[in-house]
Amino acid sequence: MSALRIANGKVLDPANGEVGVERDVIVVDGKIADAGSAPASVETIDAKGGIVMAGGIDIHSHIAGGKSNIARLLMVEEQRAFREPQGPFCGCGGGLSTMTAHATGCRYAEMGYTAVFEPAVVAANARHMHTEMADIPFLDTGGYLVLGNDDFLLDLIASGAGQQAVNDYVAWQLNATKCMAIKIVNPGGINAFKFNARWMQLDEKNPHYEITPRTILQTLIRAVTELGLAHPIHLHGCNLGVPGNEQTTLDTIAAAEGMPLHMTHVQFHSYGTEGDRKFSSGAAKIAEAVNKNPNISIDVGQVMFGQTVTASADLMSQHRNRGIASPGRWIGMDIEMDAACGIVPFAYKDKSFVNALQWAIGLELFLLVEDPWRIFLTTDHPNGGPFTTYPHLIRLLMDRSFREEQFAKLAKSARKHSNLLEIKREYTLEEIAIVTRAAPAKILGLTDRGHLGAGAVGDVVVYREDADREAMFSRAAYVVKDGTVIVREGEIVDLVYGRTHQVTPDYDASIETKMDRWFDETIGYKAGTYKISDEEIRGGQGSVKHATVRAS
Amino acid sequence: MTEPSVSEASGGATHKDVVCPYCGLGCDDVTLEVSGTAVEAKEGVCGRAAALFRRGAEPAPSARVNGREAPLDAAIAAAAELLSHARSPVYAGLGADVDGVRQIIKLAARTGGSVDHYASTGLFRNLATSQRRGWIATTLAEVRNHCDLFVVVGPDPSEQFHRLYERVTPKTGRFLAGPRKIVFLGGAPSEEARAQLEGSTIEIVAVPEGELVEALSRLQALVSGLVPPAGGVELAPLAEALKAAKYAVLAWNAGGLGADGDLVIERAVAVVETLNVETRAACLPLAGRDNLIGANQTFLWNVGFPLRTGFRGGIADHDQAAYAGASALKSADILVWVSAFRPERPPASDAQIIALAHPATEFEREPEVFIPVGQPGLDHAGLAFRTDVVVSVPLKRYRDAGLISVAEAVRRISEGRS
Repeated sequence: MSALRIANGKVLDPANGEVGVERDVIVVDGKIADAGSAPASVETIDAKGGIVMAGGIDIHSHIAGGKSNIARLLMVEEQRAFREPQGPFCGCGGGLSTMTAHATGCRYAEMGYTAVFEPAVVAANARHMHTEMADIPFLDTGGYLVLGNDDFLLDLIASGAGQQAVNDYVAWQLNATKCMAIKIVNPGGINAFKFNARWMQLDEKNPHYEITPRTILQTLIRAVTELGLAHPIHLHGCNLGVPGNEQTTLDTIAAAEGMPLHMTHVQFHSYGTEGDRKFSSGAAKIAEAVNKNPNISIDVGQVMFGQTVTASADLMSQHRNRGIASPGRWIGMDIEMDAACGIVPFAYKDKSFVNALQWAIGLELFLLVEDPWRIFLTTDHPNGGPFTTYPHLIRLLMDRSFREEQFAKLAKSARKHSNLLEIKREYTLEEIAIVTRAAPAKILGLTDRGHLGAGAVGDVVVYREDADREAMFSRAAYVVKDGTVIVREGEIVDLVYGRTHQVTPDYDASIETKMDRWFDETIGYKAGTYKISDEEIRGGQGSVKHATVRAS
Repeated sequence: MTEPSVSEASGGATHKDVVCPYCGLGCDDVTLEVSGTAVEAKEGVCGRAAALFRRGAEPAPSARVNGREAPLDAAIAAAAELLSHARSPVYAGLGADVDGVRQIIKLAARTGGSVDHYASTGLFRNLATSQRRGWIATTLAEVRNHCDLFVVVGPDPSEQFHRLYERVTPKTGRFLAGPRKIVFLGGAPSEEARAQLEGSTIEIVAVPEGELVEALSRLQALVSGLVPPAGGVELAPLAEALKAAKYAVLAWNAGGLGADGDLVIERAVAVVETLNVETRAACLPLAGRDNLIGANQTFLWNVGFPLRTGFRGGIADHDQAAYAGASALKSADILVWVSAFRPERPPASDAQIIALAHPATEFEREPEVFIPVGQPGLDHAGLAFRTDVVVSVPLKRYRDAGLISVAEAVRRISEGRS
């Protein structure tokens, strides 16, 4: 039996209603245990003066896969500028917005994160995604499978095959790709771009299948609900980045018709067309709609100033954005009757009207959405900025005077267009614990994560109290992963690997022959080759399979 | 080991739907007959792969140190000893699965030295454009179903990618209204390619030797609506066809292009870029034998750089010229030669050689250490990437010839060093 006592800290565990409770946290054999159950001799960490929280959970961060490798390829200057020196626990990687696998695990762990989820697994690339994620140390991972532009699904919907057939297909794909949730990226739009459509509105028909994004969205919302997946549809909506898309976003919220829906990087979908530059903040309207619709959750996709690279499955949007690539190069790919990707390097500048307003819109969303359990802290890494900017973002949320200082640096034209100064709210530590841990665990259905109650996994973080919240959250004093101390005084001291979360909903076996035929005739290789086996996930060790309603 | 689909009375087994790892097309309809350690490929396989899959019943050769047979442990120890004195090692060949490459990265990071794949010339011709300017590319299934006009730029790639047309441009495709049109620009199809293309319309646009770059520049001007200077190859009909196509694809085998390959690719990419303003088009840049693409991908996610990366003092840097296998080898004291997919010979050099190589490799000069390794997809399971970069294919184990994997050999050498 291995045991660890984290003593004398103030426990901040919103999921269990504990706010600054002074108590010891005991981890026995990798799990949180009752205070009384610690053996006599136990390794003790002195957390006096520290805040003790569960390990951080990032619900949306592009950490792996083909698009990340393309980004690394395009950003070789960044790779040269940020090298990770070889050390006892360090690899030989580097990068910031294009961080390599080992460095990703290290930088997240140092900030106190122990689980990070890849939100855009293109099915054809799932095997690569899992292989790469297995090289990321410290973190639990899992993938959201991108559906909604795949020809098989659009054909099912267009041909009126019915909800049951869709459910079987979605379940088959989740099993084949070993993913944990369903993501939709620009529903039907990526597919439409392959048929040369350049725009896709919520009620516009796909040029080939003649079905609308609304239909695709509603069908997949129903599928995940009926399969009983914990996480709702994770939606990157139509018209990303387009001025005036606030209306699309409001219409999309309405289209959910009260069913659970998670809308991602909503900052990029909260733009109005007011003002002399025809670009304005829609944050107030969107926040109001989120506040009124308890079925909706969002993550923000905050923009942070500096060089980054945008990587998305939404080639339709990225092709529109190619002209603003900085440096001036970009890569797009159509992918396997499945989806696509577009990688466009970009530098957000505080003196740019548009970028400065994007920054303000993100913060307005954070501050105007009232329920911290339905909003999650993200920069859509690396699209709004690298995840290493989270401590700075936390300070912006918690420290109004700091926020106002930063606001004063913005392009004057943007300041005139934002109401940010009128918002007095400051996030409390408890709210930070909610948006970075408790709420992500809840929306993902990870019942044994994001809290410090008995039975939870032993992912525990100690932060030293510091009025400078950016400093406080940049380097945790201690990080414990599954009961092992991995960070001590901000330094990595051990190397462990996390687990891969997935769901395995049941499906009607008759779909197998249909998929075999689809792969033989259309895709051009075998469905049997496409399916990922259990042995391929972390060598057959380290999967966590979550229960669904339709379980096998 | 996977369950054989048909067992034979002879004690042999027939395995269906075997994935072929050699050229990068990732065909997975090969039938293998395995009897003891003997292997024969049957249906599905192309001529080249059949030869590469074939194995005799003889036992695998022993490891050797300085030409003398040695136990595996002794060979591992000898390799570790050599590397512990290495000043400037070069890791080359790199014919290995993803796990093998992962272990080579770890070892190279500790010993220092550079890493390249023996077939990377074409990959770097492609990267010269994709890295500096970018492109719009596509994958095999997109071509198969969307592409109504397939333009082969330069020599026929099916020389290297044997079943290319059968796999990628078959007679029918989901969104094709009529027969697919295949244009060979500056090359011509082999007889076998013609057979694979039956049902498609074939057109050949001859380009005089050395004038492909010029032809593509003219094509680019034409699709942009400009009028190129008079003379040269007649390209207006092709330009019109490209503009009228629903989904045109320009494909090339980068390794098969000439010395001006970089420029050919850059011009072809520009044509696709222009077409995409009004219609849809994409590139299919082919490169990728012996898991070249997988090695490059593994480098990108672990190191951040593509192949041709050097390690010094634990820090990696990338230099396409200096760390290319051939140039790095000029100043190398030790060559670690890795070739698990085929008996590829190490290049001539003055360096001492540690060969983690196919058992049938015939060396021009006996390596200081020879460790025969198994082939991913025959002797052990593994992972390899397809030429289109997106799809990777699982390789399975079909026999036990007592051969160690590259990953295992490198891991043990690494442990022996410390």
